[in-house]
Amino acid sequence: MKKTLPKYYPLIPVFAAYLIMFLIGFFVPGMWQMVALLAFYCALGQSWNIFMGMTGYVDFGYVTFIALGTYGMSLGITYCSQYEWLGIGIIVIGFILAMFLASLSALLEAFIALRLRGAYFAIACIGINEGLRYFIEGAKIWGGSEGLIYFGALVQALGRDTVNQLTSFWADFSVFIIAALAAFLNMHYMRSKIGYALTAVREDEDAAKVMGINANKYKTIAFLTSGWLGAGVGAMAWGLKLGYVYPGDVFVIHYTVECIVVVLLGGAGTLLGPVVGGLIYGLSKYWLAVIMPGFQLLIFAPIIIIIIVAAPEGVVGLLKRRLKGTRLEMFIE
Amino acid sequence: MALLKLENITKRFGGLVAVDKVSLEINEGELIGIVGPNGSGKTTLFNVISGVYTPEEGKVIFDGKDITRLPAYKRAPLGLGRTFQIPRPFSSASVRENVAIGAMFGTLADKVTVDDSLEIADRYIDLVGLEAHRDKASGDLTPVEKKLMEIARALAMRPKLLLMDEAMAGMNPKDIDDMVKFIKRIKEEEKIAIISMVEHIMRAVVGLAERVMVMNQGAKLVDAKTEEALADPRVIEVYLGQPTEQSKWRSEVWKEGKGEDE
Amino acid sequence: MKIFVRGGDFIYKGNTQETLSESLSEVFSNRVKEEKMILTLLAGNLIHGLLLGGVYGLATMGLSLIFGVINVVNVGHGQFIMVGAFVALTMFTVLGLSPVIAIPAALIIGMALGFFFFYTVMRRLIRAPELTSLLATFAMGILLEEIAKLIFGADFRGYYWAVGKITLPITTIPMSKLYAFIGSIAIALFLYLWFSKTRIGTAIRSVMEDSEGARVCGVNVSWIHALSFAIGIGLTVMSGVLLTMFIPVGINPYMGGGYTLKAFVIAVLGGLTSPYGAFFAGLIFGLIENGAYTLFALIPGVAPFPLTVSLAFWMLFFLLLVKPTGLLGK
Repeated sequence: MKKTLPKYYPLIPVFAAYLIMFLIGFFVPGMWQMVALLAFYCALGQSWNIFMGMTGYVDFGYVTFIALGTYGMSLGITYCSQYEWLGIGIIVIGFILAMFLASLSALLEAFIALRLRGAYFAIACIGINEGLRYFIEGAKIWGGSEGLIYFGALVQALGRDTVNQLTSFWADFSVFIIAALAAFLNMHYMRSKIGYALTAVREDEDAAKVMGINANKYKTIAFLTSGWLGAGVGAMAWGLKLGYVYPGDVFVIHYTVECIVVVLLGGAGTLLGPVVGGLIYGLSKYWLAVIMPGFQLLIFAPIIIIIIVAAPEGVVGLLKRRLKGTRLEMFIE
Repeated sequence: MALLKLENITKRFGGLVAVDKVSLEINEGELIGIVGPNGSGKTTLFNVISGVYTPEEGKVIFDGKDITRLPAYKRAPLGLGRTFQIPRPFSSASVRENVAIGAMFGTLADKVTVDDSLEIADRYIDLVGLEAHRDKASGDLTPVEKKLMEIARALAMRPKLLLMDEAMAGMNPKDIDDMVKFIKRIKEEEKIAIISMVEHIMRAVVGLAERVMVMNQGAKLVDAKTEEALADPRVIEVYLGQPTEQSKWRSEVWKEGKGEDE
Repeated sequence: MKIFVRGGDFIYKGNTQETLSESLSEVFSNRVKEEKMILTLLAGNLIHGLLLGGVYGLATMGLSLIFGVINVVNVGHGQFIMVGAFVALTMFTVLGLSPVIAIPAALIIGMALGFFFFYTVMRRLIRAPELTSLLATFAMGILLEEIAKLIFGADFRGYYWAVGKITLPITTIPMSKLYAFIGSIAIALFLYLWFSKTRIGTAIRSVMEDSEGARVCGVNVSWIHALSFAIGIGLTVMSGVLLTMFIPVGINPYMGGGYTLKAFVIAVLGGLTSPYGAFFAGLIFGLIENGAYTLFALIPGVAPFPLTVSLAFWMLFFLLLVKPTGLLGK
């Protein structure tokens, strides 16, 4: 035990950041919504980064998981709210459905797309996302393009007070939990066999196979984990909090790009990166929405390009290089 | 019973027959050299044994088990370790992590924890003499160090059979002699069988293996005691052919041991 | 916007394009029951599909060319098509110039954009990890969208180039569509000849095959990279002009995303690195799209338009599943 403890040191700054954010949101009046938004970006970045950081694959269709998580929660509430005895259990059912849908699509994608590399993987993932969206609209399943609106049903099933509490506090709080869980899993994977296996696969897949590594198994583990966490965020931050879902709102590649920007700002493949990136991105987006509403993207697009060209390591990447050889090194990963 | 038995292995790439009905048996603890000129099918044969390719015909039987159609990652834990002709380290990982990866996934015992395998790694790093570079990124090693690291990584898998692909290519005569001694030593200490593939460094073959299989154009030419095999006129012809200007030049290169396969 | 289909109306409110022509929806507004009518309809729609497919093919050639030469998938591809559409719209409605003149203008604007983005951004990313080039091209796309929104607003717009129509027994074809098709073929053919007959075309092909080999042979590889990127973007913007003949009310800053995805499907269908493969794949895609639309419209209780769009991606999926290694070019 003594030997394994220092391994988790890099989690300390991450958890500290989340705790401070939570405390600010909880005790400073009027801050909760902003802190929740920041947690949302941190959680998404952290979840996306698990798969990207460990395998080197760029999942452009990541929003599929968030969307399916939202749909899982929506379906759970829509179809189970009529059974009064379930009570708060409908949220649990919704969450389980979210995980189930995310697993299903992750396994399908893993089967097809993880055999591909680079550009083909990116194209396949975007394709899956769009295919699903238009299939839901075209085949008119789950409400088709009109979506599902179930806020009323939720209020009827659980009462206005409970729903208020759920949507204004617990939904956001669970995003914090998911963000922390994502960081922990990322760290844990990096320090376990999975991390070693994926390092080998990332560097040289064929050599890794000859070393006895089942490449697809480990890639799928990372992919599934990443997908579950994304679906969790979707289920809570969108599904539960908003009370409605439209396919045209959730299967939107821009959200994947937001995840990527968060990660890239902070430092791709690092543990602290998504936290730093989430804070920078969330705060600047919030601020830009106040001072120049409607022009956020016009400002962000060139910023993304500049970061890619000028500082591809991100903030944490630069910090890591600075701290190399100092005692603080072991806290930054 | 033979540890590894190849029965009439044939592997084709389109119209090209890379390996043509090759049969071979290796006993436990045996050290055998596979010799042959560039393009004679040695590497393909290695890839068939380690599972990178599936042969069109024939069987690979390892330790009494037919592994012809087993994927590579399932073969390694049965006791098949290998090194590569051009070293393939997991560059961003340290030497210690590289070797630990071998220890972690290369055995059937699934209770090998990360900490265990790091300890095992240290042992084999000491064995190959890379202790000074333990925490260096493996991509930053010199070519010879990379070869040693690959050997440590393969040994950490605790194989019954080690496939060494051109362990001595690109080395100077002194390093070759050291490597030959080293290979013999690990064979004794680890009690494993070794197949060592050598393209053209006769100095290495003579010192190294009791037995040699000579390949030419995908087929087995000779399988005999080393001295006999190298004295065989067919082998001499394969290597020297008709003495043209080019072959003279090539034999010079061989002597200097600077030739590279492919 | 509303598209009337088979009596029931389907409200489409995405930000994507609406490629199927007005005439199509007119036909659908009459309920189709008889088999003969269905076949006539199908044949008619396939003709429209072929015409649109030519433009699709041209629109994808640029994507394939850029991937083939600098190994970057342009995720902002569709946004350059959007630029072309706005070039045509502006020249037609503001300057009163016909789309024929808009084509060379689009080429010049497209190549200028291509050189600009190459020298400011792409040049530094050719050897970088994929993450960066994918994201950079995506960001370029967003930038173009937002600039277009700033200038033109977010409404759907369109124009109609009235140059007559041909009436066939099975369908009516506006001449503008026919001209667009002929234009696509002419440009593709010109490109083919230019590639195979000129010095610089040969140089581009040699860089596609093996950039190191080409460098050794004295080809200025970095200039070829820049030129190919610019030509690729130029082609794409030109195809945007031709596309406007098919989308009378579909011009919008956010129309590009859908075309990016269609271009991916077509490019994969055509082999990804081959511009000519892409052209023929475009024709096939146009036929499949319109054919499938016609058939989906006969199924009660579904929305045929989004279902057709999703079909494209199932096709992509199937292709990647059946031939993943072949598509990697090995």
